[in-house]
Amino acid sequence: MPSSTTTVDSNRQRLSDYPQWLQVWQRAREGEYETVILSASDDMLSVVLMHRQTGAVYSLDWSRSFQQKPLGPPPSALGILETLSAEHELARQWPRWGWRSGRRPPVRGKGLFIYPLGPVRADVAESLLYQLTVMGDDIVHVQLENGFKRRHIRELAVSRTVSSAYSLVSVFTTTSNVHHSLAMAQAVEDAWEVDIGPGAAVTRTLVAELERAASHLGDLAAIAVSTGLTVAQMEFLHLKETILRINDQLFGHRYSRHTVIPGGINTELWPRQADLVQIRQIVTNVLTEVATIARDLENTTSFLDRLHGAGTVPAQAVAAIRPVGPVGRAAGLAMDVRQVHPYADYPHHNLHIPVLSSGDSYARFRIRVAELTVSLKLIHEILRNWDRDAIRVQSDKLTRFDESRPRRRTGIGLVEAPRGLLAYQIHFSPDTGRIAQLHVATPSQRNWAVYPVTMANGNILQDFPIVDASFSLSVAGWDG
Amino acid sequence: MYYWHWVKNVVHRPKTTGYPTALDDTVQHMSRSGAIVVDAPLEQPFFKRSVALRQVDGGSCNGCESELSLLSSPDYDLSRYGFSFVPSPKHADVLVVTGVITRALAPVIRTVYDQMTAPKRVVAVGACAIDGWVFQGAPDVLGRLDDIVPVTVRIHGCPPTPGDLLRGLLAAVDGADPASLAPRGVRA
Repeated sequence: MPSSTTTVDSNRQRLSDYPQWLQVWQRAREGEYETVILSASDDMLSVVLMHRQTGAVYSLDWSRSFQQKPLGPPPSALGILETLSAEHELARQWPRWGWRSGRRPPVRGKGLFIYPLGPVRADVAESLLYQLTVMGDDIVHVQLENGFKRRHIRELAVSRTVSSAYSLVSVFTTTSNVHHSLAMAQAVEDAWEVDIGPGAAVTRTLVAELERAASHLGDLAAIAVSTGLTVAQMEFLHLKETILRINDQLFGHRYSRHTVIPGGINTELWPRQADLVQIRQIVTNVLTEVATIARDLENTTSFLDRLHGAGTVPAQAVAAIRPVGPVGRAAGLAMDVRQVHPYADYPHHNLHIPVLSSGDSYARFRIRVAELTVSLKLIHEILRNWDRDAIRVQSDKLTRFDESRPRRRTGIGLVEAPRGLLAYQIHFSPDTGRIAQLHVATPSQRNWAVYPVTMANGNILQDFPIVDASFSLSVAGWDG
Repeated sequence: MYYWHWVKNVVHRPKTTGYPTALDDTVQHMSRSGAIVVDAPLEQPFFKRSVALRQVDGGSCNGCESELSLLSSPDYDLSRYGFSFVPSPKHADVLVVTGVITRALAPVIRTVYDQMTAPKRVVAVGACAIDGWVFQGAPDVLGRLDDIVPVTVRIHGCPPTPGDLLRGLLAAVDGADPASLAPRGVRA
């Protein structure tokens, strides 16, 4: 079984020259490496790279030797745009580096109007300000202003113990809280060199796939209602509620919060009376329903007319920003951490990950339906042999990490969250075992960078809700 | 296209729960007994039915939003009590606030509240809006909705379940948690 604990220390390269560091990074990126996290401390810039085929994780560092002059061009100046939001964040925190996080100038011209939308908008939505520049109906430019919801989770986690930081991480984004917990757990286990055992690995896969199913069902409901099809929306919402009730039955919380913990699985919340045979039957029913609703939507011309060709991600943006998750896979980027860098029980499952190349809203709809089907089948398969009593032995107390010291100073955790690649890099202080730095790269953070250019790619205002729903990104995951 | 849904729904019982005005073990099992806190007994109950809601995110983790959007699902169907979400604060009777209250969003919440016409009520949804939850003392986090607008009802939970949200919204209208009253048995 390819272990989820990847030795990063052995693949670490340290450079002393900043332009050289940028060049090596750019070459690695043009080769076979996917950029995962850009992070910084007082005197070091570090980027974590993952090989697209083998999943090997590699860290590229540049140590700053306290010279006071500005660094030079930021990574985005060389066309490395995956870490654009990380770069903005670092520019905000370390202004003395001289990176500019300047806003792009507004577009001006006769007949152009700026349509501000937010931070209070629509029915039930997160706070984000859209500045849509329109010429008649055409959207010609989009500028997003985030940061309203900043809770400073990364900063708050510093100098906390693992168990105390865990409570923060589990409320990073609730609709993908299992994956946030899982990525943090992997990073901690990587640093402590802990093996969780097969029982916990299987359970983690089950919890993660249930979360993916619920998330995708919610996204599909949003896509359906964005075209005015409330019947399909209601059906998808009912199925989402069904999955959330399964979560509650199996793990004692509708979003399975606090189920995945560093070191294994938390069994304290488990009600014991869940009927697995009945739950498997429910999962089968959900699978059939999804197939029927998706087929009906595929036969509804008013639905297809709105989705086809709406919100096509420009090819340059795909190459420069490399969107992750369903957005990336709908635009031809076949990257799924479950395949490339398998964790939990995924090495034992042969997943069929769908990839499409058109990159429009319809492709994102198709990808979500296909992934949902894969997830539900996997849940069904796992529930067949899942032995809850076996896991009880594997579970362990979270506080054990507070009392011991890590074997390595840095741990990395990579998972495929419902919205895409989610990465945690945690530096521990070797004396106390507390967190020295927490770096998180969320999929929403990266995909929001693709959003403005996609929206301004020949769409009209009426396409806005459809493209927005087909991205279904989280603002909480961006602001942090 | 969707005729099979009609046929299916004629044959099956409705998906909608009767909770909180009728008994439903499944939904009741998920909800918390002490989730609803009504501040003071409401004087004249101005609202009867047809209550317009305006939700504002004050820095949430999107869990409360996920549960609020499930209120319109067939399982909970908030419109059977006359509730609906409206886009404009000027049409709203009840302000629903989620999330820790960040410094950037506090004036936004205040503006929305001021835009609403009286009589109006405020519902604080989730542990974050009530006291900041795990973000107490964080920079830029005010953490208490009470400090910005007068709160009528608090719904505890992280996130509160849709059943609890319905209870809280009904409490904001009637002044009492419906689950604490005897079930009216409207629908079995």
